[in-house]
Amino acid sequence: MTLLETHWGSKVKVTNLESVQQLVRRRLGDLGVMEGSVISLRKAMPFGGPCTIEVKGQWIAIRRKDAGHIVVEALC
Amino acid sequence: MLTVALTGNPNTGKTSLFNMLTDSYEYVGNWAGVTIEKKVGTLKNKRGQLVDLPGIYSLSPLSRDEGVTTLYLLDESPSSLLNVVDASQLERNLHLTIQLLEYGRPVVVALNMIDVAEKRGLDIDVKKLSEQMGVPIMPVIARSGFGCDTLMQAAVKSSIDDESLVSPRHFDYGPVLEQAISTLEAKLPVSMASKRWLALQLLEGNIPVLQKLRQHVDPVWLQAFYVETEALVQKLPEGKKLPDYIRDKRAGIIDRWLQSAVRETKPLRTTLSERIDAIVLNKYLGIPIFLAFMYFTFKLTFDWIGTPVSDRLDALLNGVIRDGIASFLNTVGAASFLKAVILDGIVAGVGGVLVFVPQIFMLFLIISFIEDSGYMARIATVMDKLLEGVGLNGKAFIPMIIGFGCNVPGIMAARTIEQPKERLLTILLTPLMSCSARLSVYSLFVGTFFQSHQALIVLSLYVLGVVVALILAKLFSYTLAKEEESMFIVEMPPYRIPQWRTLSRSTWEKGKGFVRKAGTFIFGGSVVIWLMGYSGFHGWNVPMNESFLQAIGSVLSPVMEPLGFGNWQAGAALITGFLAKEVVVSTMGIIYAAPTEAGLEGAIAHFFTPLQAYSFMVFILLYVPCLATVGVIRNETKSAKWTWFSVGYALVIAYVISFIIYRGGLLLGFH
Repeated sequence: MTLLETHWGSKVKVTNLESVQQLVRRRLGDLGVMEGSVISLRKAMPFGGPCTIEVKGQWIAIRRKDAGHIVVEALC
Repeated sequence: MLTVALTGNPNTGKTSLFNMLTDSYEYVGNWAGVTIEKKVGTLKNKRGQLVDLPGIYSLSPLSRDEGVTTLYLLDESPSSLLNVVDASQLERNLHLTIQLLEYGRPVVVALNMIDVAEKRGLDIDVKKLSEQMGVPIMPVIARSGFGCDTLMQAAVKSSIDDESLVSPRHFDYGPVLEQAISTLEAKLPVSMASKRWLALQLLEGNIPVLQKLRQHVDPVWLQAFYVETEALVQKLPEGKKLPDYIRDKRAGIIDRWLQSAVRETKPLRTTLSERIDAIVLNKYLGIPIFLAFMYFTFKLTFDWIGTPVSDRLDALLNGVIRDGIASFLNTVGAASFLKAVILDGIVAGVGGVLVFVPQIFMLFLIISFIEDSGYMARIATVMDKLLEGVGLNGKAFIPMIIGFGCNVPGIMAARTIEQPKERLLTILLTPLMSCSARLSVYSLFVGTFFQSHQALIVLSLYVLGVVVALILAKLFSYTLAKEEESMFIVEMPPYRIPQWRTLSRSTWEKGKGFVRKAGTFIFGGSVVIWLMGYSGFHGWNVPMNESFLQAIGSVLSPVMEPLGFGNWQAGAALITGFLAKEVVVSTMGIIYAAPTEAGLEGAIAHFFTPLQAYSFMVFILLYVPCLATVGVIRNETKSAKWTWFSVGYALVIAYVISFIIYRGGLLLGFH
């Protein structure tokens, strides 16, 4: 599933970032979002605006379409 | 001379530390990308220089400000590196630390914001971590100054001690990569420093490093080498791309370091920042809150604090001070020419501008609050959707907000925007943001014509500037720069309650430029303008209506007639206003020979109707960026073409919109 399909606030593990736009992926990596990182989806702006994600206490805002390209799996 | 370079991730407090360790003061804020160029200061203990660099996540630059740091490390050789690390985000900060250790200069780590980390429940064993990493680590709190003296000593000591025996640190990247690194190292000239570091950076995809290596190694070979290594790495069981593979290896090293040195003592719970964000980033409330905040800003600046103080300053300046100067000049028996220069030129010109200092400082105080509290990144997020619609991204709003204070730093702040096209658009459009200098013109006119709705009228001008910028962005992104994908990603710093010390300092730093300009540029300009109004084709001391100033202003007046302000006075003010927008006020003060603001307001009431005044304000808002702004546009775009374009489109758009407002207003029955 993609990050957008997860429940708000529930922690999930990133499994694939391949289809995220290259520059965004680099920045995500800089901010500590890599394959294997545990992240959660937190908030969304109205009118399809950006959403915020949390990784290890760090909050990041990205566009919803990029969040839709982050493939994640539930934490077991 | 020792040179210590400050490096670290964005928004880790490098500049706060810089301000603590040196005698200088540089601009700080709570968002990523405040510092966009190199700043140099002398260490307080006079032992050397400290260089403040823009924040970077890794040494491969994505945006222009990050490039500054990479190029500095490539081209200069600092005696040591002071790596500022955010203790509450250790893991991601240490990726850069590894790259700095590989660079080969002595590194001292400043573990900043340990108080924040403690609050977040992180227990960091500094001594153990330092042993693990093999570098000195100093806990500090840059905002309060805690630990700064010890840090300074450690930095100086490391620069002197290890000078002869500095060697780059060697981390293992696995057999495939190690083989590739040695192959490339062997190709590089023997004398070249930090070869291993250069090789690793190249493999990570660092463009400035690639450019440097091309001077020494055959570019074709380099290309083949990269492709081959990339293929080899991808064949490994991990199956990762080369830069990701390197990052993973580093993550492994960092994990080992942190394992024994960091403990989480309590589970993460909802922080204050989260609770604030629940409101200001609320789905429904986010945008209304931002607009309310802006409205509140204008209320504070005009109705509640700025204008009342301004009025008092005006009474003081034009009452006691002016009378004092006049009687002093009379006592010393100054020539009437000199008296006229001082009273009608300088006092009218400079005083007319200085009167607006309270409003401008109020505005700067609020901008400083936005910067320091952490709200800036949220505004960018709230605005992103709107800006995406016109071909920009939310980050472009940061230069625009700074531009409300002054366009010059606003345009420079566009450096943090990653995509070249979005950056160019932001540079071109930031001048449409109504800066504080223009505020003085509005203050004068709204005080005369729109007494009861001052804040609202001024807000309408600010909004007009933003709306025009958005429409033009849409237009330009269609025509000028196409085919580049827009991107947006921004980190949200935790909120902080701004300290009064920082707020007042940064308000003063912004506002002092305005005051200084009044004392130098406006001062000189006032004398020249006064002289031009005093002299004419028929000699000296001619009536204002036969002066050179009138001759110059008249050239413009027929052109301006359709906009509602076809008098020569307005024309003269517009021409001189190119130097700096507040010169418009000085010029009018001198022309109407009305040294007091009440007198000037009375005088312009004879020459403008309210509708004409509004049209004039709109024209002032849009017509051309001031001289200093044009200079910085030239610098940032490195293109004469774009510079001319920024002046040209502004003139056209100002004319068209003022025309529509004036003619439309007349049709609707306003006057």
